[in-house]
Amino acid sequence: MDKKESEFLKKIKTKFKIDGKVQRDRRIWISITDDKLIEICKWMKENGFVHLSAISVTDWLKDGNYELTYHLWSYDDKILVTIKTRINRNKPNIESVTPIWEKNAQIHERELHELFGVNFNGNEDLVPLFLENWKGPAPFRKDFDWRDFVRDEFYDKKNEREQVYYD
Amino acid sequence: MIKEMEPAPKGSEYDFYFGPAHPGSGNFGVKLKLEGEVVVSARADPGYLHRGFEKLMEYRTPLQNAVLSDRLCILEPLNWNLIHAEAVDELMGIDIPERAKYIRVIMAELSRIQSHIIWYGVFSKGVGFDTGFKLAFGYRDYIMDLFELITGGRVYPAGYICPGGVRRDFPKDTKKKILKVLDKMNKIIKLEELENPAMNARAKGVGILKLKDAIRLGATGPVIRGSGMNTDVRKEEPYEIYDRLDFEVPIRKEGDAYARYWIGIEEMKQSINIVKQALEELPDGEVIDSSLKKPKLTTKIPEGEVYVRNEISRGEAGIYMVSNGEVSPYRTKVRGPDFLHMIPVLEYLLKGVQIADVPAVYWSLNICPADMDR
Repeated sequence: MDKKESEFLKKIKTKFKIDGKVQRDRRIWISITDDKLIEICKWMKENGFVHLSAISVTDWLKDGNYELTYHLWSYDDKILVTIKTRINRNKPNIESVTPIWEKNAQIHERELHELFGVNFNGNEDLVPLFLENWKGPAPFRKDFDWRDFVRDEFYDKKNEREQVYYD
Repeated sequence: MIKEMEPAPKGSEYDFYFGPAHPGSGNFGVKLKLEGEVVVSARADPGYLHRGFEKLMEYRTPLQNAVLSDRLCILEPLNWNLIHAEAVDELMGIDIPERAKYIRVIMAELSRIQSHIIWYGVFSKGVGFDTGFKLAFGYRDYIMDLFELITGGRVYPAGYICPGGVRRDFPKDTKKKILKVLDKMNKIIKLEELENPAMNARAKGVGILKLKDAIRLGATGPVIRGSGMNTDVRKEEPYEIYDRLDFEVPIRKEGDAYARYWIGIEEMKQSINIVKQALEELPDGEVIDSSLKKPKLTTKIPEGEVYVRNEISRGEAGIYMVSNGEVSPYRTKVRGPDFLHMIPVLEYLLKGVQIADVPAVYWSLNICPADMDR
């Protein structure tokens, strides 16, 4: 395993007292609680992680959690750090990172607000991005069955050719 | 006597919808607010091509997802194949055969060349140089023929680069044919490099993106390299066999549409160079891992999570894949370069340009609505 990764991990571990591991070359994963997010992200940006590669949400239905992952790349150190944090999936509220990564973060958060229903406090522009006139629940949630939704919404039971979907 | 035109009176703003079915836009729309001929503000309106791939992948096996990953971008399906395959490989802990690595790189680079040719074509059309468009699509067909020979599909390879390696070996005489096609590619590069009044007049000094803004808006790939940043995932984080290959990363400092267009040409030269090197060193042997040679529908992906990054012709592409030990991935997040190029970067660059320059700025970003909408 490379030296720079373990050194960086040690640095951030002692600074914030958090869990983390080196997965392989150039990959570090750290887990934090959601109240520390802004503080750590600010520190990361100051330490060279200027490129926010992506933000993602994983819906852990069994645990009742949303897991948010922030993938950050440093052009100087050539390391990708992923920050993971969990929030309640029934009340998905989290601080926005738009003050830190600006427009880049804003657009990622806008997408996740639409697809998962996560509320990013402080992000002012969360209007729907992809879906037009969408009235259903957030479509990427694990408990949303798109097959049922499409059948109820768009198919006609009386139509001879569409009856197969109801058998 | 012709009087000089007066500026548009205050409050005479009007809306103008560029796309999504406009021949000059691709399946994507931008809502422009104009005052006279000047764009006051622009707002991207994605979603015309949204198909929900990330959700669809949760319902399918890696074998099916390999085919699905073609559709992530119409203009370079093989590169998206590669990223998906790498994500599954890493989760499964497979070290693929040497020959497969070389074939993957050859295919990815050929795909990059044809994608850059399309870029040149549509950009030419954007600046009003129609001949370039026709030349480009004519020359691209040589590579399409190669893809048909090797993968069976001209545009969509149907998951040719699959988890474990590639689906089948090169047919007979492929090496000779690839080298012949590369000669043809040198010809189109020569044509692209010709001093062209249309390109000079319409692209130089248009749509300037400063490095500071490029970083702030999340630009990657040719767009950020056109603004002076020396970055390339193939160099910074070599995947497959890129660490053994000798190639350069072209950089320009101007940050305008012409700089990005120039980067496209230089990258094609580098790609040709890479394909030649890989062909020379191409080893013999198997092309797919023995455990996946006869794939089973019940093969499970081990528990874990990975984030894979690749350099595709448009910029940085990534897949974040989470598996909980089932047949299908639990969650797949696709990070397309155009998600950022087409929304924040485009909105920023369009502010204040003339309406006639909108297509030039738009196409200089090498956009592909498919990987933004997913």
